[in-house]
Amino acid sequence: MTSKKIILTGSFGVGKTSLFNQFIFNKFSDKYLTTIGVKVNKKSVFVDGEEVNLLVWDIAGEVSQDKVPTSYFLGASGIIYVFDLTRPLTYKNLEKDIDYLKQILPGGLIKIVGNKKDLLEEDAIAKVVNDVTMPISILTSAKSGENVEDLFNDLAKSLIK
Amino acid sequence: MAESHKPIHDEVLLDRLKEILLWDDRKELDEIKQILDTRAHLSERVSPIIEEHLSALKETFSEDYKEIINKLIEVKLKNSQEEIVNSLYPSLGRMIKKYIGHQFELLKENIDNSVKKTFSPAGFKRRVKSFFTGVKESELILSNANNYTIQEVFLIERDSGLLMGSASLHTTFDQDVVAGMLTAIKAFVEDAFKKEKQELEFIEYGNYKIVIQTFFSYYMAAAIDGTMITQEKFDVEESMHDFASAELTGAKSSEVSNSELISKKLYEYFIKK
Ligand SMILES: Nc1nc2c(ncn2[C@@H]2O[C@H](COP(=O)(O)OP(=O)(O)OP(=O)(O)O)[C@@H](O)[C@H]2O)c(=O)[nH]1
Ligand SMILES: [Mg+2]
Repeated sequence: MTSKKIILTGSFGVGKTSLFNQFIFNKFSDKYLTTIGVKVNKKSVFVDGEEVNLLVWDIAGEVSQDKVPTSYFLGASGIIYVFDLTRPLTYKNLEKDIDYLKQILPGGLIKIVGNKKDLLEEDAIAKVVNDVTMPISILTSAKSGENVEDLFNDLAKSLIK
Repeated sequence: MAESHKPIHDEVLLDRLKEILLWDDRKELDEIKQILDTRAHLSERVSPIIEEHLSALKETFSEDYKEIINKLIEVKLKNSQEEIVNSLYPSLGRMIKKYIGHQFELLKENIDNSVKKTFSPAGFKRRVKSFFTGVKESELILSNANNYTIQEVFLIERDSGLLMGSASLHTTFDQDVVAGMLTAIKAFVEDAFKKEKQELEFIEYGNYKIVIQTFFSYYMAAAIDGTMITQEKFDVEESMHDFASAELTGAKSSEVSNSELISKKLYEYFIKK
């Protein structure tokens, strides 16, 4: 069985842990329990009949270089960068953060995810997408589960190819 | 460790480090800290008692009294154990009581052995004393204790933390996840203290220890239950090196990436004894 290391990163409270919990347990909680340090989780998915072990490192909300050891990113195949569609602060540094991530994981796959889709109307979402200067891979709601499965499955798929 | 990494503020790092290490049970680690702090205090308390009795014994000592003296010391140690434990107990709680009790048992057991072999007041005094001050000499006395078991052993890819193989006496957690978390802790510690080319080699958590040896592209970790002296830790490290050079160095990449095969070999080497 192939194993792949995936990093979940992004600001505090954007829903990284919620996305993963929705993905594994199909569960969502309104309670905010901030992740301390890093939590490693596992889930296997099937890509064209082949089982892939995703080892997902859910990193406490900080992308910046002085808060998270760069070595956490070593050997990762992909990074999921999550921001909160309702909080501009969480995508304000997006470009800088992505540059930084590209630098510490050259050639790694990076997915930019806008989360908490359920909290905004379509036109408000369109406005955010317009404001964000980089291409967003997918818009999700950890609450409703919308696009969550797709996010991880798509990622696994692109890693296997 | 990447060179580009800015120096991290010490306090923030230490807090984060604590948070990671105290993942599930901050309290337990605090208690362990207390035990470590108290070792010195314990020494202060115990040394005078032993000193007193030994100076008396020295006067009257002769080969003929060996048995009696041995008994006396044993009794006194036993009494002091109660005394010490009771005076410390209220503030230090159950953990330390268990710890001290266990250490006294070990001590008694080994004093018996040592006395049989090399009884002399000076040597005895030095050894008992060194036990409480934690100096290496203590390891002579405790060297027959030998009560640790390797519970689990992991072979882990160094950068990614992906598991290459593992073997265990009883499976506890998901081993892929353990390998990942272990790598995170290791990465964090190494990053935080950023000493050139230094690797985390040992983690202690209650009675549980993790011995780590890092090789070029992978590392090995053995989770150990029980008491262990430096020599034994060294032995475990040695067998990791032996394993690596026998089974991994020069092995075909198809063999190294076959986790079932690696796991089987790990089992044969470390767990099945
Ligand atoms: N409405 C809504 N709330 C969400 C969604 N995702 C997360 N939340 C809420 O946002 C808060 C933070 O979610 P977490 O998943 O803990 O965020 P995180 O990114 O893991 O945060 P850190 O671990 O602190 O970095 C929680 O109260 C969640 O219930 C979502 O899609 N919709
Ligand atoms: Mg979290």
